[in-house]
Amino acid sequence: MADEDVQQTLEDLSRELRESKARLEEAQRIAQVGHYYWNLIENCVIWSDELYRIYGLSPQKGPIDMAICREMIHPEDRDFVFRSAEEALHSEARPDIEHRVVRPDGEVRTVHALGSVKRDAAGRPYEMFGTVQDITDRKRGEDVLKRTQFYLSEGERIAHIGSWAFNESGHYWSDELYKIYGLDPQNGAPTVEQYLNLIHPEDRASMAETIKLMQEQHCGHDLIERIVRPDGQLRFVRAVAVPVVEHGVFKGFIGTTMDVTEQELLTQKLRREQAYLEEAQRLTHTGSWAANFVTRENFHVSDETVRMHGFDPSEGPVSFERFHDTVHPEDQAVVRAALESATRTGTDYDIEYRICRATDGTIRFFRSLGHHNPSGEVGEYVGTTMDITAQKRAEEERERLRRLEADLAHIQRVNMLGELAAALAHEIKQPIAASITSANACLRWLDRDPPNLKRARAAAARIEQDGNRAADIIDRLRSFYKKGLPPKREIVDVKEMIQEMSALFRTEAVRHSIQIHSELHEDRPRVLADRVQLQQIFMNLMLNAIEAMKDSGGELQISSRLTPDSHLIISISDTGVGLPAEDGEKIFDAFHTTKSQGTGMGLAITRSIVEAHGGRVWATANAEAGATFHFTLPAKGEANA
Amino acid sequence: MKSAAVPTVFIIDDDRGMRQSIQDLVESVGLRAESFASGVEFLKRKPTNDPSCLVLDVRLPQMSGLDFQRQLAETGMRIPIIFVTAHGDVPMSVRALKSGAVEFLTKPFRDQDLLDAIQQALERDRAERDRQAEIHDLQERYGTLTAREQQVMALVVSGMLNKQIASEIGASEATVKIHRGNVMHKMQAGSVVDLVRMSDKLELSPRK
Repeated sequence: MADEDVQQTLEDLSRELRESKARLEEAQRIAQVGHYYWNLIENCVIWSDELYRIYGLSPQKGPIDMAICREMIHPEDRDFVFRSAEEALHSEARPDIEHRVVRPDGEVRTVHALGSVKRDAAGRPYEMFGTVQDITDRKRGEDVLKRTQFYLSEGERIAHIGSWAFNESGHYWSDELYKIYGLDPQNGAPTVEQYLNLIHPEDRASMAETIKLMQEQHCGHDLIERIVRPDGQLRFVRAVAVPVVEHGVFKGFIGTTMDVTEQELLTQKLRREQAYLEEAQRLTHTGSWAANFVTRENFHVSDETVRMHGFDPSEGPVSFERFHDTVHPEDQAVVRAALESATRTGTDYDIEYRICRATDGTIRFFRSLGHHNPSGEVGEYVGTTMDITAQKRAEEERERLRRLEADLAHIQRVNMLGELAAALAHEIKQPIAASITSANACLRWLDRDPPNLKRARAAAARIEQDGNRAADIIDRLRSFYKKGLPPKREIVDVKEMIQEMSALFRTEAVRHSIQIHSELHEDRPRVLADRVQLQQIFMNLMLNAIEAMKDSGGELQISSRLTPDSHLIISISDTGVGLPAEDGEKIFDAFHTTKSQGTGMGLAITRSIVEAHGGRVWATANAEAGATFHFTLPAKGEANA
Repeated sequence: MKSAAVPTVFIIDDDRGMRQSIQDLVESVGLRAESFASGVEFLKRKPTNDPSCLVLDVRLPQMSGLDFQRQLAETGMRIPIIFVTAHGDVPMSVRALKSGAVEFLTKPFRDQDLLDAIQQALERDRAERDRQAEIHDLQERYGTLTAREQQVMALVVSGMLNKQIASEIGASEATVKIHRGNVMHKMQAGSVVDLVRMSDKLELSPRK
């Protein structure tokens, strides 16, 4: 071999070596792997360029002191790294560790270090050679994966969702899925038969069918089924399965199963409550709704509301306008005004009106209560509508009966008076008829030829007698209240009597929304009077007061006070229609009445009685409304009683 | 045979003035009148055989006029009644008139109305009394018939011929003829028609 050839060969070799080294370095840089020689004799280390870069340094030539190396290892890992190295020197083990290094700029990197110890013939180690790989990025990826997996399983646990996959590499069940079915993960995922045994017997057949379809047609599903755990507990689960297809090739299934027992029970409870509510609405003929009166749209309309208006709930939603159109034409304006006023002021309302049912035009009475939703839009109302037709009819019937009763009571009074008048008529007619007959007889005696004067005179005398008799009867009648016959006089506790009379009229008063008050100044006002006649005064005046207020309601006030001349003034005041404009005194005249069905006797009798007791009766108009009737009676002191 | 006696008007009214004035009015036209304060008082009086009538007040103490009317009818005392009342109503007057009252007058009444009613009542009483007297007379005549004659009379009245009667009672026709002659004579009947009328008045059943 010539020198040239040698030279050539050397050059070739040298080039190859350089190229080989350059490739190695390139390989190290791509793989982020560096290598080192650790001269154990001199305790120094030589690093490859890549290792410098891994450590965040610029490549240098020459050895590095071990102390510097040590400094660059993460303080928490330092002891561990050198202990591993020591162990490797004294054993056959090859160091294979992961540790962190701290770059000069403070960045922490994770490396995977491998080593191989070289020994001399005597077995003494003189060198360690190894590689160091920067595995920071891989490590981070692993951490993220771990975290993701952790979150996923936590999520499954919290949400009671289990997941599964079924493909050629096997049948995978997540931990939560085992928990949902009450199975032990140790036993692995169940077979189809085992799985079907977990399904509630009533759902088993349909589930078997579903699985069959999955296998045959590779279709997914989303269904709720009941399962029975091995411990017997019944649960509701929502099972979702989707086929996995990659590039048009079926690869298997993935799916989730969610424990929806709580939701399902809640849903069932809600449905039950909804049904109860529906039933209650149906029973009470009360419908609920929510609507916006401005935009004229319904948000909620219960079935009963729909039915009450004569629509069919099964025929879909009914528009606001169609509901509104059912309102009775005569009540349309009132309803519109009420809703507009409530909407404008944002207040609640409570109205009664009639509707004509959509189907058959039947007229029903409704009461609608609307509550303005202050947090909602303008015109937003929630409310109820009640069918009050039955109550309305009953009310009308009651009112009719009440009127009938009142009429009867009045007729009774009129009849009583009629009887009294008839009795009086009979009494007075006797002497008058006798007079007329006597006069006839007298004329006949005179007409005789010759006239029988003796008999004629006797007849005339009887005429006088009977005429006087008639006058006497009238006098007696007038004195009936004037001087009594004979007057019965006893000490009467006026307060007690007023209480008695108030109690007597309580029902009648309540019926007409009238309140009875008494305001009695004296502790025990007493008078000397005929008890029955005094009751009659109260009855007449209180009845008049109630009659004056029966259409409007009001207040009936009874008060008493003592005058300086020892007269008790009793005042009965009402807030009713008041006195007639004409002469006030006239109202006390007999047969004078301002009432369509009055007898005109009440006040006349009252005056007779009061005057017979040495008192006075008069009426005054109230400043506000109504009239006050006053009467006086001579009071009786305790000492005189 | 007509009663020729003076008729009497009885008046019952608890009001003294009323009964006195009615009595006076009745007397002023020349009739006899007696007045009583009550029905009881009236019943104490000896019944009269002369024509009479009763002016009765509806409203009486204790027993009303209407009740008294019924009581009189029940005791068989026949007397025409004119009611007077201070206040009468239609049902009351209808009831009175249905029970045989002659008139129902409301006080005060026109004197002539009362007097007319009294005349009518007395006329009715007179006729009734004549009828009663005739019946009484007929009953006396009928009483003189033998049982056989009464039997024959009934058969004659029923329209049978002598021959039929004979076979009916099992006697000869000649015997029947004798009985028949006795009946006609005793009853003072001029013809069979007369006899039938008498039988009606006696209220004998026409056919045995």
